[in-house]
Amino acid sequence: MRISRSNVSTEINKTGSWRFVRPGYDEKTAPCSNACPVGQDIARIEMLMGQGMFPAAWETILRENPFPAVCGRVCFHPCERVCNRGEMDSAVGIHHLERFVGDLAIERAYALPHPFYGDEAETDRRATGGKTVAIGGAGPAGLAAAYFLARLGHTCDIYEADSEPGGVLRWGIPWYRLPEDVLKAEISRIVDMGVKIYCQKPITRDFMARAREQYDAVFLGCGYGRSLPLWIPGEEKVLNGLAYLHDIRGGDNTCTGGRAAVIGGGNTAIDVARSLTRLGVEPILVYRRRRQDMPAFDHEVEMALAEGVQLMPLVAPVRIDGGDGGMVLTLQRMRTTRMETAGGRCRVEPDGDRTETLMVDQVYSAIGAEPGENWLFPPEHQPGQLRMSHCILWEHPDARLPVVFGGDLTTPVKSVTDAVASGKQAAMALDTRFRHGGKAIPERLGACRVGDGTALSMEIYLSGRRKTRNPAIVPFSALNTDYFAPAERQAPPVLSPETRCGSFEEVEGAYGRDAAVQEASRCFNCGICNDCDNCRLFCPEVAIYIDGTRCINLDYCKGCGICVVECPRNAMTLEEEAS
Amino acid sequence: MIHSPLPQTDYMASGHVGCPGCGATVAMKFALRALGEKTMLVIPACCWAIIAGSHPQTSLKVPVLHTAFATAGAAASGLRAALDMRGDTETTVVAWAGDGGTFDIGFQALSGAVERNEDFIYVCYDNEAYMNTGVQRSSSTPFGTRTTTTPGTNWKHTRKKNIVEAFAAHRIPYAATASIAYPEDMIRKFQRARELKGGSRFLHVYATCPTGWRVPSDQCIKIARLAVKTRAFPLYEVTDGVRYTLNHDAEPPLPVRDYLSVQGRFKHLTDDDYGEIQAMVDEDWELLKRKVALAPEEARA
Amino acid sequence: MKEVVEGSHAVSEAVRLARVQVMSAYPITPQTHIVEALSEYCADGRMAARFICVESEHSAMAAVIGAASGGVRTFTATSSHGLALMHELLHWASAARLPIVMAEVNRALGPGWNIWMDQTDSLAQRDTGWIQLYCEDGQEVLDTTLLAFRLAESASLPVMVVLDAFFLSHTYEPVDIPDQASVDRFLPAFQPRIQLDTQDPFALSQMAPPGCYMEMRHDIEAGMRRIPEHYTAAEEAFASVFGRRYGMLEAYRCEDADIILAMAGTAVSTSRQVVDDLRERGEKVGVLKLRMFRPFPAALLASLAGDARKIAVLDRNFCFGVGGIFAQEIRAALYLMDSRPPVYSYIAGLGGRDVTPETIEEIYVRTKQSERPAPESVWIGLDPAACPVCRTD
Ligand SMILES: Cc1ncc(C[n+]2csc(CCOP(=O)(O)OP(=O)(O)O)c2C)c(N)n1
Ligand code: SF4
Ligand SMILES: [Mg+2]
Repeated sequence: MRISRSNVSTEINKTGSWRFVRPGYDEKTAPCSNACPVGQDIARIEMLMGQGMFPAAWETILRENPFPAVCGRVCFHPCERVCNRGEMDSAVGIHHLERFVGDLAIERAYALPHPFYGDEAETDRRATGGKTVAIGGAGPAGLAAAYFLARLGHTCDIYEADSEPGGVLRWGIPWYRLPEDVLKAEISRIVDMGVKIYCQKPITRDFMARAREQYDAVFLGCGYGRSLPLWIPGEEKVLNGLAYLHDIRGGDNTCTGGRAAVIGGGNTAIDVARSLTRLGVEPILVYRRRRQDMPAFDHEVEMALAEGVQLMPLVAPVRIDGGDGGMVLTLQRMRTTRMETAGGRCRVEPDGDRTETLMVDQVYSAIGAEPGENWLFPPEHQPGQLRMSHCILWEHPDARLPVVFGGDLTTPVKSVTDAVASGKQAAMALDTRFRHGGKAIPERLGACRVGDGTALSMEIYLSGRRKTRNPAIVPFSALNTDYFAPAERQAPPVLSPETRCGSFEEVEGAYGRDAAVQEASRCFNCGICNDCDNCRLFCPEVAIYIDGTRCINLDYCKGCGICVVECPRNAMTLEEEAS
Repeated sequence: MIHSPLPQTDYMASGHVGCPGCGATVAMKFALRALGEKTMLVIPACCWAIIAGSHPQTSLKVPVLHTAFATAGAAASGLRAALDMRGDTETTVVAWAGDGGTFDIGFQALSGAVERNEDFIYVCYDNEAYMNTGVQRSSSTPFGTRTTTTPGTNWKHTRKKNIVEAFAAHRIPYAATASIAYPEDMIRKFQRARELKGGSRFLHVYATCPTGWRVPSDQCIKIARLAVKTRAFPLYEVTDGVRYTLNHDAEPPLPVRDYLSVQGRFKHLTDDDYGEIQAMVDEDWELLKRKVALAPEEARA
Repeated sequence: MKEVVEGSHAVSEAVRLARVQVMSAYPITPQTHIVEALSEYCADGRMAARFICVESEHSAMAAVIGAASGGVRTFTATSSHGLALMHELLHWASAARLPIVMAEVNRALGPGWNIWMDQTDSLAQRDTGWIQLYCEDGQEVLDTTLLAFRLAESASLPVMVVLDAFFLSHTYEPVDIPDQASVDRFLPAFQPRIQLDTQDPFALSQMAPPGCYMEMRHDIEAGMRRIPEHYTAAEEAFASVFGRRYGMLEAYRCEDADIILAMAGTAVSTSRQVVDDLRERGEKVGVLKLRMFRPFPAALLASLAGDARKIAVLDRNFCFGVGGIFAQEIRAALYLMDSRPPVYSYIAGLGGRDVTPETIEEIYVRTKQSERPAPESVWIGLDPAACPVCRTD
């Protein structure tokens, strides 16, 4: 019987020929990653955290940064400032999450992932041909350089002037912001990788002269050990803020109570002031610009004020008089001008000759620092120098080996995370130099850029999955926010100002597990696929299938574009079909 | 790889001839995922009669009975009766018709079937006009729409028929609206409808038609979502014609203009028209809310 | 067992005995008694069937199409406006090759409303691909209905069993109602050739593009061409169980007839009487009972009536602008035959008007007296004074 009875599948019709635009999976770069000095894959980290996959999240951080527990606490998290979620309600608590998973890793003793870039062949290749590198300074830059070099198959010895490793982390940041055991745990992981740290053994010129005998390269990340002078009469009566912080962390309290002036508006000034309140001193911050111009993190300033620190803005010290029984600090009144500094702070000028005086018991200076020794500075524009965003490689003519300057010496922003970034950049540069020669560095490192900023990705360097990531940055407008409901940012517990003033106990607590998952789930995962499956779910052509990963069957895809639009996170792109 | 709680097997094949971005196709895809292989479809004249494939092809992996335009309700009744007589109570009979085949020409047959409380699921995928014949108005076409039979200033000046209310008035055991932009909700409703054997179940499914509405194909789901968020197409369920549950509060609602102004078929509307439509939407919403409040369905697990 | 039943109930009894599984119908006078009885059988358990009380004839046919596609034996009944409303689906049923059986009670179409006997309703459906069988009396109605299932199922085509309004549907006659066992022997349980199945999914009746539509239509025609064969086989089987047979056409006293009167339905019984009378008076006249209308048994017609000098056709129907429908069909059928007696076309008994022996005799006399047929159908019994109010302009 010839009737209209049919069971041949329509799959014989290749409707892909209808298409004039073609969808494709195209993971892009989240703005947070772009802003992160070390280019952490934040979108993926939060995706994993949101799924409760904490070890995997932690490993993902460790590809780009050896210090999640530290950076989660001390980084000024520029990532959060550009977080797309901020355009909807409030930025994701990226640093809280990083700290949470960093702490969890310490508590649970997570093992370092191996191979850490997820490619066995790469590991094998790296097992041979390792070099030996000397590192000056066990601060964040030096430690990071050692960590990454070690992961790249090289042997590292760190030489540290102080009695314990950590640099600014160990000596410059008060306990209430960074407890010692956290730091120790993250450093010991690096030591466990085989990195040797020699303390109270600074790198010297002599060492440099003979370094060639033992080492293939040197990394110098000695940091800013010496405070800048005030250049005012009575300067000798002023105490060094950095040294003071160092003393406290060394266990010495050099303070005698009463009132103290702290000069400066940066984080060190705040740290000094807040430490003073904990020791029963009444600190007054003396700053030449306005509060909003202070380079210290706003959050820190607020904490300080809550703890009773007083702020005197728009005054500059001109002289210090008096002796032991009390000092008189003479201050010049300043006023704002219309001009701004390169950093966007307003420029100030003396407000005529208006002055005032401040009676205090001590004066601390925290207006900035410089390297302990001049030769640790990279020389200006010498031949054989390669200037990179975070460090300088110099084929040292005397030492006759490559020397990399990193850390505060060369970073564009003086921050812990930028120091880590410089260590990573140095490791990548040296590794390239060892394996492919110095000329290959710009191109090879350029290929590892995260987004359009300066951050480099070790995962990309090692041909990890992230290599296929499009550097294009996902703007808020490219997200399909229909899939995101407003949700309040989780706040971690914080000690009350009263409790805070009495001790050096850590001020900010950590997220609980649930809060962490909830907060991580607020992340849009900009630009990356989090397996939401919308593309496959909505495709009217049943043209998307899973074969290990999601694939588009171009035999049938008509190019409607639904998958691309319904991707909440802009991990797909529609391109015109080449005719 | 997939964290979705939704059923994953597709009973719709690639290679069908639906327009790019066809919402009705997405609707079928979801429906069959929910209903599974023990399903027989009855399809009257409509776009889906074409999308299902022409002889000797079929784009559906379940049996399909094609039938005349006005007859989905009746043909499905007959098929159900046949299965019952053969002792097959497991298979779900599903009539699958467009708005024309439901609101208009098939309304009588469906009304009769629902009044008899025939044991089937009737799905109206609503693209708000006769699309298969080239975008002529139906009684589902909303106020303000231009179609090929309501052109120019003669755009449709009467309201869309409220089909769910019509069947609620039949005291149908289960009636619900669903949208392709809310797959979880839609699939749950199809599954619920499948479980509620023994009587008529009516599902009114919003299905964007990029071609007929003059919108880009990639906006298919977005527009469907806007319809819900602006309360132009509320998501709700009615059991036994009296117990109402609102599934999506759309709080706060977006102005209906956000939904209309992105579609070519409404491009001609003026501020006054928008105002008039907003008032209609608000009125309908209030009515619905009152019904929900009157006899709310017991909370379900 | 013989019982005195009306024609409608002869249908219902046959449907019951045929073990129909799904029925659907919508009431219309004069079909109502059929479906009322069937509803009762379903209610009291005499039938294990489902009767779907739809809201229209359109839906009734759609429902049985749905049921037949589901693989069960189906039945419906209608008349006049109901049949006209079904029109779309008559095509659907035949082209889907579904063995649906329908009882169709010949009734006039409005306006003005007229519930009485008229054949135009069924004849107007001649192009829908349905087999049409016209009945003369109650027994034939029952037998034909049973036969219809067997024929429909062997040919995969739907069958319409046609009976006159009131003259047959509402007329009580003794009818031999067979026992179930005998019927089961004649009509075994339904073995569907088409049946939707979730284990073997396919689509039915979907779009047929130009590349295959014609072949499908040709296949229906090929099926129609085989109907005489199927019909004869079915009648053979029927006769072997019940001892009765009817043929596709029946020639009554036609052997040496100069004039053959041709017609369908209850008028045949009247004509038999008139022919007997006329024969007694020495007239060489016979009756050709038109039983199968679709497919039209042209060859059989030629062999039974080809030798007559004249054929007079009584049509209780009319095709405006052409004439009596049976007459047209007979003329067309004879056109290719070697012997082509002239066909005289008469219209009588529309809208329930009686066809009396006098009517038939008048037709005979007129035919005998006319040299050749009039170009148009001759209307018998028109009364210019029929209605005092309406006028012809
Ligand atoms: C009796 C009858 N009248 C008209 C048509 C022509 N026709 C086929 S599909 C259709 C419109 C269908 O509209 P709808 O039910 O809304 O489905 P859509 O095509 O929009 O999916 C029409 C008018 C027909 N097939 N049968
Ligand atoms: S949704 Fe399907 S058909 Fe549309 S563009 Fe994506 S893959 Fe192609
Ligand atoms: Mg429609």
